[in-house]
Amino acid sequence: MAQAKKHITIVKKRTARFNRHQSDRFKCVDPSWRKPKGIDNAVRRRFRGTAAMPKIGYGSNKKTRHMMPSGHKAFLVNNVRELDLLLMHNKTYAAEIAHAVSSRKRIEIVARAKQLGVKVTNPKAKISTES
Amino acid sequence: MASRPTVTVHGADGAASNDTHPLPNVFKAPIRPDIVQSVHTGMAKNKRQPYAVSEKAGHQTSAESWGTGRAVARIPRVSGGGTHRAGQAAFGNQCRSGRMFAPTKVWRKWHQKINLGQKRFATASAIAASSSAALLLARGHHVSTIPEVPLVVSSSAFGGAIKKTSAAVALLNAVGAGPELEKVKNSRKLRAGKGKLRGRRHQQRRGPLVIYEPEKDGKELVRAFRNIPGVETSPVYALNLLQLAPGGHLGRFIIWTSAAFAALDTVYGSTTEPSELKKDFLLPSNVVAQPDIAKLINSSEVQSVLRPVKGGAITKRSHVQKKNPLHNKQVLLRLNPYAKAYSKEGLGHVKANEKPIAKEAAFEATLHEN
Amino acid sequence: MSTQYENISNDLLWEITRSNSSFLVKRKQAGGVQFSRDPMNLVNKHSRKYEGYVNEQAIGIQPDSNTIALTTKLPKRANKPAKSTQTSSFNASTPSRKLYKSIVNSTAKKGYRPDLRAEAVARASAIRQSQRENKKDYDKKLRGSKARKAELKEASS
Repeated sequence: MAQAKKHITIVKKRTARFNRHQSDRFKCVDPSWRKPKGIDNAVRRRFRGTAAMPKIGYGSNKKTRHMMPSGHKAFLVNNVRELDLLLMHNKTYAAEIAHAVSSRKRIEIVARAKQLGVKVTNPKAKISTES
Repeated sequence: MASRPTVTVHGADGAASNDTHPLPNVFKAPIRPDIVQSVHTGMAKNKRQPYAVSEKAGHQTSAESWGTGRAVARIPRVSGGGTHRAGQAAFGNQCRSGRMFAPTKVWRKWHQKINLGQKRFATASAIAASSSAALLLARGHHVSTIPEVPLVVSSSAFGGAIKKTSAAVALLNAVGAGPELEKVKNSRKLRAGKGKLRGRRHQQRRGPLVIYEPEKDGKELVRAFRNIPGVETSPVYALNLLQLAPGGHLGRFIIWTSAAFAALDTVYGSTTEPSELKKDFLLPSNVVAQPDIAKLINSSEVQSVLRPVKGGAITKRSHVQKKNPLHNKQVLLRLNPYAKAYSKEGLGHVKANEKPIAKEAAFEATLHEN
Repeated sequence: MSTQYENISNDLLWEITRSNSSFLVKRKQAGGVQFSRDPMNLVNKHSRKYEGYVNEQAIGIQPDSNTIALTTKLPKRANKPAKSTQTSSFNASTPSRKLYKSIVNSTAKKGYRPDLRAEAVARASAIRQSQRENKKDYDKKLRGSKARKAELKEASS
């Protein structure tokens, strides 16, 4: 399988999640991010010591955006025909087999990917059996 | 273009015959995906049937609000007692067995009026687009085996000769539409969602559209073709945009009978002569006569008014990384062309071994004279 | 010209099919990547330069069982799909360098899409690579606790 093209180091400016304000205090408040909108909200007003809010400055370098640690970008693949699109891109894209693909067809896709030199991000899913 | 382009008429066996037909004017019509799309969206709505929930749904109770002061919401509540229903909230869209929010009405605007001129424009545009092999391919038709686009098959192959579906299939295969039929056949899939229960069980691709002239070709071919998956037929006098550009996408694969093809000029006329059959209709003409941008830019008219390129073939870059001439030889040479000869001769390593010129005796004497 | 009348140009075709066509494969991943299934597209990229159907001249290189097929478009027969391409195929035994040379000689060297020279060679090379015998799988070298466990297992057996 082809190694990814050489690239600058991937820097994630922040790896912690942004949790919704007060999701730590109440079970009914889901941690997925919602922007606080209240007129007096301390988080919204960015007071010292309050939680950080997502903003564009946390974005990754354009050159490494969407990159996996291997240096590839993922491309969702449903069948062998779609995998063949990656023939010329095996250094930038890796195939990700869609979840609805059966194990029989997964084996075909993984075999073809090996011929094409395309990395598959989930080659073992549904294929390996408990022994 | 000096002579009008022509299209070969193909025989029943798919071979090109000696007959040709000049390309009708409608194929000159402007290709306007925007108009086709908007007309298609409108037309696609015109087969809808009204539906609505019952007018009475959710209102068949005599609920009244209890008002304030009872420590419950002021929503209307079912009156009476002796049943669980009594005292439950009613009417509101948030209530169990209340009416829906904004109940659907049969007097919704189901159908769209589309201006006749626009409809005619869109049809002409869709016909013109069907003459481009690239658009057929981009629409997904498997047409790499057909002999010509637009595909015209001699009416003698149709007129009365095709009564049975087997004959129709044989004809389609002969003109190279076999892969297309195969594609349609394999594409039949169960529809996702509730449509399955509502008489739209399967989905499949659209195949070729056979356009005939009802008087000359007869109508028997309609029966012959109608059971072939994906194949549709249409008389040339009643073309429908929903068939010419399914989904609003240009480039339907059309098989014309030669009689229908010949009739196109009477149906649509030209940009100067009005159509014989459509009242007050002139074919639309292209706003931009030359759609090829490269040709426009390279035309002498445009080139003659452009100022010449500044700086010639090599343009100076505005922002460049500074290179150290001491490390980078090419940069050094650019600054100091002599550097090459200098290093080749090895002048940097040559010791100055010339002996000092002997001074005159008088010079020494004068120097040290005190 | 893609039709016989001058109302369709390749630029117009591109504008029509740019956002939606049967060749286009869109994904929301990787910032909305767009690929193309066009067999005449050398790098499978959905772009004006590489798409075969919006260019008068285009090169297609496709694997064909164990051979490589080189297809070129014939601009004069654009409206005769069955005859609009020319295909030549190369045996599996053709040496790679000879393959690249003949691809370049029959296209870029003749002034036929000289801008696609590198892409054509790269694609032929990639296909060749994919047709070679697969390299065998290597056993993963175990590290850390897994390695120690494996060692113990081996020692006990």
